[in-house]
Amino acid sequence: MIEHELTVSNRLGLHARATAKLVQTLSGYRSSATLTAKGREVNAKSIMGVMLLAAGQGTQVKLRVEGDDEDQAAQAVVSLFERRFDEDS
Amino acid sequence: MRQAFVGHGASRGSALGRARVRLPHALEVAEEHIPAKRVEGEITRLHAAIATVRGEMFALRERLHGALAHEVGEFLDLHSLLLDDPELLQGLDELIRTGRYSADYALRLQRDRIASVFQTMDDAYFRSRVDDIDQVIGRIHAALHRRDAGMPGVAGEILVTDNVAPAEIAQLQAQGVMAIVTTTGSILSHSAILARSLHLPLVVGAEGALQRINDGDVLAVDGATGNVILEPDANDLRAHRGRVRDLARERKQLHRLRREPTRTVDGIDIKLYANAESRDDVAEAHALGAAGVGLYRTEFLFLQRNELPDEEEQFRVYRDVVLGMTGRAVTIRTLDLGADKADRTGLALRDEPNPALGLRGVRLSLARAGLLEAQLRALVRASGYGPLRILLPMVSTREEVREVRATLKRVTVELREQGHAIADNIPLGAMIEVPAAAIALPAFIGSVDFLSIGTNDLVQYLLAADRNNEALTSLYTPLHPAVIRLVRDVIQLARKRDKPVAVCGEMAGDAHFAPMLLALGLMEFSLHPATLLELRRTIRHCNLAQLQSRAPALLRARDRAGIEAWIAENAPVIA
Repeated sequence: MIEHELTVSNRLGLHARATAKLVQTLSGYRSSATLTAKGREVNAKSIMGVMLLAAGQGTQVKLRVEGDDEDQAAQAVVSLFERRFDEDS
Repeated sequence: MRQAFVGHGASRGSALGRARVRLPHALEVAEEHIPAKRVEGEITRLHAAIATVRGEMFALRERLHGALAHEVGEFLDLHSLLLDDPELLQGLDELIRTGRYSADYALRLQRDRIASVFQTMDDAYFRSRVDDIDQVIGRIHAALHRRDAGMPGVAGEILVTDNVAPAEIAQLQAQGVMAIVTTTGSILSHSAILARSLHLPLVVGAEGALQRINDGDVLAVDGATGNVILEPDANDLRAHRGRVRDLARERKQLHRLRREPTRTVDGIDIKLYANAESRDDVAEAHALGAAGVGLYRTEFLFLQRNELPDEEEQFRVYRDVVLGMTGRAVTIRTLDLGADKADRTGLALRDEPNPALGLRGVRLSLARAGLLEAQLRALVRASGYGPLRILLPMVSTREEVREVRATLKRVTVELREQGHAIADNIPLGAMIEVPAAAIALPAFIGSVDFLSIGTNDLVQYLLAADRNNEALTSLYTPLHPAVIRLVRDVIQLARKRDKPVAVCGEMAGDAHFAPMLLALGLMEFSLHPATLLELRRTIRHCNLAQLQSRAPALLRARDRAGIEAWIAENAPVIA
């Protein structure tokens, strides 16, 4: 199992398009993944689950990935967060 | 009892039919239990409905084309993802099994459970995302009944609702809805623009309609005047029949306009070019009497494939476009990949931090020398078959044009030496969509032969508002004084220097904006063939000299409301 502490740094936070991107990224991996923020844990492969976090800019989230391709899956998510979901500078 | 609601006519056309009321944020389903033996059947019924919706969304995605496709596609993608969402749909089977609820009521319970979580959110944007959940659940619910009744959800009905999203407009039209009445909204919203391009009658801002109209009530809707009549009387019905006859006659007249000139009341000819990206578009443009193709998109040659098209393949496509227009002008835009267009060839850099401000359009072409050269060679060869112009997207400096022109010169000499029959002179134009290019136009207009104003990107960059950012839909608008002024400046300078200038963004294709663009001095429009005849009709009712005399008032408008008021005051009366 891999865990990462991440910060939502894109301006709109985990809004609809960013969430779609996250879910699409994870859908390519077999591992299960969750995000935890504000005391709520959600399935990171569920667009609705992630939207329910209502994670705006600056929110700290914990990513937990578990499965046989967990390294690659976690790296893909970390990279997405670092790139601010390819949407703002 | 007869009752009238007055809204704003957002998309013309008349409808007489029964109302289907959709209340905001509520799935109106009564608690319903089913016997144990029906449980498995109910689950099967639910999954069949979900499959139906999935198929409909896919089919709708396939039908979309052109500039709106991207925007509407994003809603559809989001909704498709939600439809496959493990959390959203999980538990429905369980609810039916253990609670012995009908599929409808299980959907309602699931929806309410999710909505209650969304309602606790502080952030208005996140709170409003429950709308997406509602729409998806609403679609599944509609599909359940469609299967039961053996007929489409809103086919032959008039939808009455608070608001309607662009993605829904396309979906509802595909399902056969007769008309839509909303209690909020603007006639210049994306939904309204889409409804007009799909010829679906739409009335917006019919206040009070949701309180008074019930499912099954008979309504007469006039998408031109914005009148909605509940329980119409004999006079109303007569008037409706009259409108239907008028509309049929109008369609005939519109059809006749195929062979008529696009000439204003005071006798000035305006050129209407077609935007195209396929053989069908070109054929349609030709049949509708377009002055030519004003913007032929070449991206499709590069998208959805794994390797780059070679010169020969491109040449055949471009040659066929030129041949298809039988001597009318054809403007072909060089590759405009980047930002919002994903390709599989690995051409565009997928991981750019800010792709809208990145390596796209002519920048990408210049960064990949072989790419530009192959495309230019193919274009130059096609020029031997009829008038062809080359248009460069995303130009921001004079050097970019000069660099392309140098390559164009070189390949022209080479091709001539190789014995190809090619045009003596191929006009090279620039799209004005980067504000810097528009502002510095006096410095670089000498480098180009013609201009095309791409309002979609120009608006996005000028207002620093991502056109696909849902949080900015009210900010992203061509009706901003800065846009109006800049478009005016570009048109005026081009005319002074005797360079042809067209507008090719969505703004050009909406007849509502035509008087405004004419007032600003525009003489050439390039638009999707679907709305060409409508624009021709509008222009034939415009008085150019009069509109241009009213341009100062337009330029004095201080905000969107002022510009909208000018548009409303100067809309031509189309008898």
